Amino acid sequence: MAAYPQLQSGALSQFPVQKKRRTRTVVNLAADGSTIKLADPAAAVTEWLLTYRDLSDDEAATMRAFFNAAEGTLNGFTFLDPAGNLLAWSEQLDNAAWQTGPLLSLTSEISDPQGGTHAWRLSNSGAAEQTIGQTLSSPGEYHYCLSAFVRAAAATSVQLMIGSEVARRAVTSEWTRIACTSRGDDQATSVRFALEIGAGDAVDVYGLQVEAQTAASGYKASTHSGVYEDAHLADDALTITRTDVNRHSCTVKIIHANHL
Amino acid sequence: MATFPILKTTAITQYPLARREQFQNQTVRFVDGREQRYRDSAGARLEWDIQLSQLDEGELAAIEEFFLESQGTFGSFSFTDPWDGKVHDNCSVAGDGLALVTAQEMHGSARLTVVRNI
Repeated sequence: MAAYPQLQSGALSQFPVQKKRRTRTVVNLAADGSTIKLADPAAAVTEWLLTYRDLSDDEAATMRAFFNAAEGTLNGFTFLDPAGNLLAWSEQLDNAAWQTGPLLSLTSEISDPQGGTHAWRLSNSGAAEQTIGQTLSSPGEYHYCLSAFVRAAAATSVQLMIGSEVARRAVTSEWTRIACTSRGDDQATSVRFALEIGAGDAVDVYGLQVEAQTAASGYKASTHSGVYEDAHLADDALTITRTDVNRHSCTVKIIHANHL
Repeated sequence: MATFPILKTTAITQYPLARREQFQNQTVRFVDGREQRYRDSAGARLEWDIQLSQLDEGELAAIEEFFLESQGTFGSFSFTDPWDGKVHDNCSVAGDGLALVTAQEMHGSARLTVVRNI
């Protein structure tokens, strides 16, 4: 499936990003003011309004080419939420969304760096490295940033993995945010993001986050993945304004509906 | 029961905060001009208009996750009235829409209305 283009900076969008969530609830309002409600989860709609300024000629051409390929509202594409965490269940590492090594044991309710108890202790009792991660249906050619807060009782290191790219980061006894930026594997239609714990190590982990950009932003706890397959442009028209030499601006509205 | 998320400052909301109380009464007017009134609801309707700004990414995500978990106006949760600290156990988001704006880094904003269910 086609994917919404990243800018040359590796970002998906610029500020401001406006996002709207819409749900549908059937409400039966009784005469006394009480209500009976019925949820309709399939009708959930998410909209993004992305405003671009100072796009280069190449970036504007990319946007135009994408718009033409999508034929306006006609064809669906994969959109990665620029204001979200692409990982699902970022604070519930025992959820089925996570692929966990068989010898990696998880302990919940560890104190986290933000004053809560949402961190996890990952203990590797095996003789080889063990990983925990998620595979996302996202384009391989994107820039991604995988980040996490880590600490360990004894200084050690962990590996952050984005596709086949691997980066080793030191872990100390203090909470430290580590990050790794890389592209996935070109032509790949999915990318695996993982944290690898060395043999015999125990590491506290909090705030695992993946973003489609080149640096980590503030941690966003998630239950839903920020990967939206079969998103659509909301308009059949795209206006790109040339504001100066090699400078363009435009506004793009994207919609994702569960029922489409 | 779910609880409305608090900010990192432990505040429930920010200024300005509007609270609206609404009764639902009926009036029957007779030919001679006299009126008879009666209460036509199980209680007063309470609403809080919550406007949040300068939220960091985590706070904004918490509001969004809370809205999704509630499925808009469907779910109910407990809400602490910022005016008097009283906890109302059966509240809902009013409306099935939530607008989130990230103006720049650590400058998110959101607005929603909480209503006490009757």
